[in-house]
Amino acid sequence: MQYFTNETIDLNTLPKYEETTLANPDPKYWKVIVINLFIFLLLIAIGLGIFILFNESVRINWILWTSLYIIFAALLYLISRASFKKRGFALREKDVLYKSGIVAEKTTIIPLNRIQHVALNEGMFSRMFGLGTLQIYTASGSSGDMHIAGIEIEQAKAFKEALVQRLDINTKAENE
Amino acid sequence: MSLDFSQPQRQSAAGIIINGAYVAQHLVRAMFIPLALFIVKANKTALLYTAFGIIALVVLALVYGYLYYLKFTFYLNPLKQEFVIEKGIFSRKHLTIPVEKIQQVNINQGFLQKLIGVYQLQIDTAGADSKEVDIRAISGEIAQALRQHLLHGQQAPAVQEIGIETSTNTDIPLIKIKASTLLKIGLTSNYGQSFALLIGFGYAAFHNIKELLKAFDNDNGQIEQFVKSGFTLFSIGILLAAIAVLLLATNIIKTFIKYFDFQLSKHSQSLLISAGLLTKKNTLLHPNKVQITEYSQNYLQKKIGLFKMLLKQAHAGREQSEKEMKNNNTEIPGCSAAEKDELLRMILDKLPEEGSTFKPNWRYLNLPVLFQVFLQMLIYSTFYYFIPEVSAYYPLAVAYFVIAFIMTYIGYTKHRITVSENYIIKQSGIWDISQEIIEPHKIQSISTSQYPWHKKLDIGHVTFHTAAGSISFGYGNFTEINTLVNYWLYQVESSDEEWM
Repeated sequence: MQYFTNETIDLNTLPKYEETTLANPDPKYWKVIVINLFIFLLLIAIGLGIFILFNESVRINWILWTSLYIIFAALLYLISRASFKKRGFALREKDVLYKSGIVAEKTTIIPLNRIQHVALNEGMFSRMFGLGTLQIYTASGSSGDMHIAGIEIEQAKAFKEALVQRLDINTKAENE
Repeated sequence: MSLDFSQPQRQSAAGIIINGAYVAQHLVRAMFIPLALFIVKANKTALLYTAFGIIALVVLALVYGYLYYLKFTFYLNPLKQEFVIEKGIFSRKHLTIPVEKIQQVNINQGFLQKLIGVYQLQIDTAGADSKEVDIRAISGEIAQALRQHLLHGQQAPAVQEIGIETSTNTDIPLIKIKASTLLKIGLTSNYGQSFALLIGFGYAAFHNIKELLKAFDNDNGQIEQFVKSGFTLFSIGILLAAIAVLLLATNIIKTFIKYFDFQLSKHSQSLLISAGLLTKKNTLLHPNKVQITEYSQNYLQKKIGLFKMLLKQAHAGREQSEKEMKNNNTEIPGCSAAEKDELLRMILDKLPEEGSTFKPNWRYLNLPVLFQVFLQMLIYSTFYYFIPEVSAYYPLAVAYFVIAFIMTYIGYTKHRITVSENYIIKQSGIWDISQEIIEPHKIQSISTSQYPWHKKLDIGHVTFHTAAGSISFGYGNFTEINTLVNYWLYQVESSDEEWM
């Protein structure tokens, strides 16, 4: 039997997750987002170009289509920028926090003793800038999982190591 | 226990027939309509060839069944505590399931299995596809023994023996549903499901009869004619009454087929549930593997004191289809208040105590009212001006407006969470009012969110993610929510209680 206490908890003295200072993703990650965005928009532009060349009705209204495309591109750029600005993460002693969202601000918190496994993902462009995506999985399926993109690779590795080590401690404690 | 599972063994020899039948059934199901059409239209020689073809198929199915039977072995590794299945004729599959990961062992008996006198054993684990672990033909004795081994193997031997001993003695059902109760359940629940079924069935019948007539080359729109004349003959009132009667009848028949002779008993440390009219389904589950306990009641059920319960288990690891999610849930279609409390006590150790209740802000209504009431009204009014035929239906539109608004409002008044030290209870619903109970240590992660325009108003939302799905509470006081989130995080992070 472990030493057991059962004191009344003052809710106001508990650590507040909403006051944690969050680290922003690496500024270089913005470049990765822009490259991805550029490729995506380029593919659409090619598609549109083919339509303008071969489709009669589209060719007549090419000004309309091009301006629609430009508005779409600008909107996508702004949304990506807003989404990038709002991202933040933090590793606390007993849990991980991740904040994101374009309109609504969503904060997800995963207690370390509920993590199932951790993966480090390096995309093609991310690797060029020395960045990685940390993926943290729980037993709740995709809804409760966490994908933290744009962490500097060395930091991400350290991060992962810290999480994995704590995972080991947890599973060891469970086995005992 | 004299039966030894440590050596690889095959299914019962009847498995050859069961496996063959299973394959044949799949083939027939896939080819049913073209085959039926072919038989109707074909001449004698073609029919003869078809008959040969069918015989050949049956033989092939049996050969397949035999080979499958030969290549399908299972055993329990007593050292590692793993259940191993090897199967596959052409590509071999080697399946290993740690005994401690097993959530539920089902023993079923289908129609053909009943005829031959064998049982089917399925193993549910968190994460794995339940269809993977499916032993289709073993004798009842072996099935029971194997289930005992699988569910109690993880415990200390001493406990195991006591478990088996008591299980033979005390098998008094905790909940037993009588036929009269089943009738009540059929009359009061699942209207939505039966309605969907009825519509689906009606459409399929309509479509199939048309197809058949087409096959005979004399479809002249008789059915449309018939349906139309039906509308003019009956008044709509009679039609509605007929639909209602049909709905209740389907409901009652469905309930009887699924839940006939429903029994729930305590079986050492597990719950044993058996039910079914045509196929008897046995389910054994561990109370501590239940993640969300839900009970619900609608207006009619409240009057007769009937509850419906749903025990949601973990489906961890990957995305699952709606149907698989439902398979992980164990349903108790009807029980009294006393039985409900007894079961809650068994799963949660004690009845949830009183706690503080949190209700949503009235702004909860904004979006649903906007998108489900006013948007529809707007669409209707545009049609009203431009298409004269639609304008005659305006009483319907008014009725929709009133009903949709009232339903949204009821949904708002019922939406709340009650928080106490050991439990979180989420209440929701419009017609069926459900209470979902979770214990804080079963939370996997928590999300909070807030719209920027709610910052000043201090309104926010919270979602708990558990291994059996998510539960959300929206439009609450965000300061209170944050305090609660910090408290729950403290509870999860400071205790080493296992969630499964």
